[in-house]
Amino acid sequence: MDLVLQLLFTGIGIGAVYALVALGFVLIFRATNVVNFAQGEFSMVAAYLMVVFAVDLGWPYWLSFLIALGGMALLGVIFNLGVYYPLRHRTFLPVIIATIGASILLSNSVLAIYGPQPQVLQGWFDTPGIQLGPVYLDSQYLLIIAVTIALVFFNYWFFEKTLLGKKLQATSQDKEMASLLGISVSTMIMITFIYSAVLGGLAGILVAPVLFVSIQMGSTIALKAFAATIIGGFGDVAGAIIGGLALGVIETFGAAYISVPYKDGFAFLVLVAFLIFRPQGIFGERVAEKA
Amino acid sequence: MPLLEIRNLVVRYGEIEALRGVTIAVEAGQVVTLLGANGAGKSTTLRAISGLAKPTSGEILFDGQSIAGLGPEAIVRLGISHVPEGRRVFPGLTVKENIMLGASNRKASSAQISREADAMFDLFPDIRAFADALGWTLSGGQLQMVAVARGLMAKPRLLLLDEPSLGLAPVIVQAVFRIISQIRKDTTVLLVEQNARMGLSVADHGFVLETGRIVLGGKPDELWGNEAVAAAYLGGHAKASA
Repeated sequence: MDLVLQLLFTGIGIGAVYALVALGFVLIFRATNVVNFAQGEFSMVAAYLMVVFAVDLGWPYWLSFLIALGGMALLGVIFNLGVYYPLRHRTFLPVIIATIGASILLSNSVLAIYGPQPQVLQGWFDTPGIQLGPVYLDSQYLLIIAVTIALVFFNYWFFEKTLLGKKLQATSQDKEMASLLGISVSTMIMITFIYSAVLGGLAGILVAPVLFVSIQMGSTIALKAFAATIIGGFGDVAGAIIGGLALGVIETFGAAYISVPYKDGFAFLVLVAFLIFRPQGIFGERVAEKA
Repeated sequence: MPLLEIRNLVVRYGEIEALRGVTIAVEAGQVVTLLGANGAGKSTTLRAISGLAKPTSGEILFDGQSIAGLGPEAIVRLGISHVPEGRRVFPGLTVKENIMLGASNRKASSAQISREADAMFDLFPDIRAFADALGWTLSGGQLQMVAVARGLMAKPRLLLLDEPSLGLAPVIVQAVFRIISQIRKDTTVLLVEQNARMGLSVADHGFVLETGRIVLGGKPDELWGNEAVAAAYLGGHAKASA
């Protein structure tokens, strides 16, 4: 039982990272109808920004954190203007290929600067963790879970309670109608890219101390997050979060009770099972929204 | 000077010439109805005015200012609100949210917009009960009410209405037209209709479009009974004019 609780904690912690990246996928997909294959690289770039400022330059952690997030917002702007905007009137295929190209560009740029050896980033707290009864709560995992919970509430408030959130939703549902009402569609899409880049970056910064900071970390996380969005129900915000958490828990339990080397395999086994038996995901696709 | 003046408007979709030189004028305070069969170019005319379709040539003057070539976001800010064909109510937002977003063309606090949306239900009492219902749950008539209410939230000087009666039961059509005759007290309306009888019943002036050209214009009682209007109403023309 103790082990089960311990695994559950770790699984939710890692699942929260998938959830944040999955949320970025879903928000961009809803706004532009395109899957952003560079979403994982946002996490990787943010983790390397932390290495630059907190490790190499030795600046305070919180300051590096703010700079890294600011850098991600800027990357969101550049990504929108350079990758999405020129192709926005084309079909989804050129845009998807452009996002794949951007992801290769980002990882190879970082590779050119830092080389292939992984970097190490310390966690936010000096205390490694606390013992709560039978369960050891790692401080970094606690932080990840706390930030994810806060972001889920923020996301709900932003999209459901503010007029700007409603405009973003309207844009994702019918761009032409949104523009007829005077909503600036290009501004709404810009905001979506900035928000998604910051979300992805946040996930990368939070998970970096748990993993190593490496060129591949983005694609690993993104693949899991992508699987999470399908398990949750593609395009569904709640589904992305639940799917991410579920995936984290499943792979943690799979690693502990079945096989450690096949840890990454469990996520995709679940994905395949969903694709066969419930392709619409846990929450299904709300068909009416496609009308 | 008319509020809206269109001169020799040509719109092409690729090879197809949807409008081949349309000239109409809408005086402030009027309801002007554009009649015509399917594919005559009625919706294209409205889309060109609101900026959704780019004019190939010709002029569109709103209050004396040329608006041809401006984007839809800029045009609605000038005071032209377009309620498009098919209502286009956002399915995943509530009725009230849909109506509130109609004010996106002007600066106002969300509290102010919320109050105005509530006041809009006085004009549309039938949808008041559905304020918190999501768009996709509504019936066609309710959707039309929401779409018109949302269009009015822009406080337009000119309201473009595209086929408000389409697909609605006769009783609902009458309710929609009652609303149009109330709107006209404050707003100039350019109405596109296939239903000539209803369309002319509220109009001060009418035009008949046929394959991208205005073939007739005049007061409703002049148009009523005219052969071309009958043809438009029936959805075709025996004479090969194209």
